[in-house]
Amino acid sequence: MSAVLTVTPPAVETGPRGGTRAVLALARFEARRLLLSIPVVIAFVAYAAWIVWRTRSSWDGYPALQDVDRATQSMPMLVGLAVLLSANLAALRSVRHGTENHLAVLVMTPWRRTAAHALSVVPAALLTAVCVAGQFAWEAFKPGAVGRGSPAELLVGPLTVLLFGTFGVLLARVIRSAPAAPLVLVLLLFTLVLGTAPGGASGLSWLAPVVAETSPDTLPSDLLGRPAAWHALYLAGAALCAAFLAVLVAGARNLAVRAGVVLTLALAVTGGVMQAGGAAPSPELTAARERASVRPDLTCVEHGRSTYCAFPEWEPRTGTWAGVVDRVQSLTGGSAHDRRLVVRQRIDARYGMEGDAAIPALTDAHQVTVGTSWGGNRVPEFSSAVAAVLVAGTEDAGGEICDGRMVTLMWLSLSWQDDPLNALRRVRVDDSVRGSAVVLSPTDPLSMTEGQTDVVRRLLENSPAGVGEQVKAHWDELTSPGVTTARAAELLGVAGPEKADSCEE
Amino acid sequence: MRGVTPALVGPVWRTLPWRGLAAAGALGLLLAAAPDAVGAEPASWETLTLLRGVALIGALGLAFLLDDPARDLTAPVPTRRPLRQALRVAMVAPLAALWWTAVLLLAPSASRPPAGDITVEAAVLAVLALAGAATAVRLTDEARPGPSVAAALLLVAVLVPLLAPESWALFVPPEDPRWPAAHDRWAVLLAAAAVVWGVCGPEPMGRWGRRSRGIAGPA
Repeated sequence: MSAVLTVTPPAVETGPRGGTRAVLALARFEARRLLLSIPVVIAFVAYAAWIVWRTRSSWDGYPALQDVDRATQSMPMLVGLAVLLSANLAALRSVRHGTENHLAVLVMTPWRRTAAHALSVVPAALLTAVCVAGQFAWEAFKPGAVGRGSPAELLVGPLTVLLFGTFGVLLARVIRSAPAAPLVLVLLLFTLVLGTAPGGASGLSWLAPVVAETSPDTLPSDLLGRPAAWHALYLAGAALCAAFLAVLVAGARNLAVRAGVVLTLALAVTGGVMQAGGAAPSPELTAARERASVRPDLTCVEHGRSTYCAFPEWEPRTGTWAGVVDRVQSLTGGSAHDRRLVVRQRIDARYGMEGDAAIPALTDAHQVTVGTSWGGNRVPEFSSAVAAVLVAGTEDAGGEICDGRMVTLMWLSLSWQDDPLNALRRVRVDDSVRGSAVVLSPTDPLSMTEGQTDVVRRLLENSPAGVGEQVKAHWDELTSPGVTTARAAELLGVAGPEKADSCEE
Repeated sequence: MRGVTPALVGPVWRTLPWRGLAAAGALGLLLAAAPDAVGAEPASWETLTLLRGVALIGALGLAFLLDDPARDLTAPVPTRRPLRQALRVAMVAPLAALWWTAVLLLAPSASRPPAGDITVEAAVLAVLALAGAATAVRLTDEARPGPSVAAALLLVAVLVPLLAPESWALFVPPEDPRWPAAHDRWAVLLAAAAVVWGVCGPEPMGRWGRRSRGIAGPA
């Protein structure tokens, strides 16, 4: 330590190329430290665990990719917060350890070191991109996947990480104090993650990095009306602008940095203004939504006896619907067994993504409605709608059944399923298998009385041999309006209800 | 030792991280006053989240309280570390209490959760920050563990509500019947954090003494 430097070191040329190489070398070193810092490691481990835990059972195995791309956006925000903190602490390391004066004697100027810190965030963003791509690909390769994702929506996650990281570096250059980043982080947690930010899809709310509108129903991808591309441009502009600003604040005064600040600011402002313009649905979009709700352009496919009309993106799923229809129909007797059904996909897109409008039942004969979601509870719901149309003729009439036909209907709907009793529980609003309840269907709900529930439960729990033959043999009596629940139970060979019941009780 | 304490007050007062504390305090007050300032009428869970966030901000400020840049010089002095740390805390404690009272008064009164219970939660966070800082001082040679402690505290604050078992019911709304039981658990946490702090206060001595990079070792 006490040795005196007697020989003058040879002067080294540091041209622009040497400077760039030094910046890249430092960026590589800082990137490694950033990726191995404890908050970032924990955030990525938690993120990966979340992806695995969620994607295994998401959307009941039937994802629509236009929903999947939005679902990749929220978790990278937590990664971004960790990257913000670590990048900030790294950029302040020399300040905290009092080595700023030592580093000042180096040829590497402070703004080059800042540029290296800003660059060190990029690998974290790339790693996030890999995670997002993995999550999306996993969903897209599920056999039940339909629709198409938007690259701009998928970019939001990595760009959020990039934005938070460069913002952390900028913060370190503006406020040279270690407590600043944790405090800012709490504020960001508040406004972004916990969702106390003003809601609604207005132009201002699109200034947040992630605008994950969740819709109860999936819409076709051209009816979403999200300014996703402009938003990605806005995020990219903001992230780069923060990086250039940090370099500028650190003392860079050359033309490239100034031009970079102006250019990226222009990008961010352009993106921000254009996305605000696209936040409210345009007249064309409103007209398209109206058309899709009232008289949609459906693609019709024949499977077996029946016709299946779906939005083009859902065409691959018509075969799955046909499987349900065929199974229900194979249990029926009489004229219903060979009846030609028309299954129509219907949505109500008029209220946009936040809307949750009920779809009215169809009054045309032998037509069944199916929604845009599938899997899980949607299967017994659709199955019930098919059974209702086969028993009552139309969906509208099916919703008004309140006699013994309900027993046949629910038996048709549920008996072919893997776990009929569990399916009965799931298809009823209150998840019960006793007492009266409302049964969900894609359109108007059906209703079961207490006595009907008892009979259906007995049929499904330990079904007596030959119920299938009894249904076919007595089809006309079982499906004639006015048949009592007690009579239906007697025909099917189980104990009837304890007391006579009707829908009016 | 008694005679030393008054003499210490002045120097310790000067070495406290006032800027960080002031920034945290101002930010917390701003946040607490925000709903009334913009005329919002938050629901009770929103006010609860707000107060928890303000408590977290205060605790983040306190995480820097035990930073001692002159640590290597103060280690061998006869005044023990618990005394010096206690002096720091004793100086900040009245201000912190005043600040928390102001926060509670500024927060929307209509939807404010029970003041005593939310104060226990805030105290847990504050003592946790101090215990974390004391642990970092005890287990490492870092003179300013503040940033790491703050990062750890943030991580805990984000992960515990996500990962804690539902049956612990630490983060329930005031309407929940488990709210009183939850606050008994918070009180237990407070005691546990205080014990950790107490254990980690003293300078390690004797057989289990200084770590490798110690000052006490032969030079």
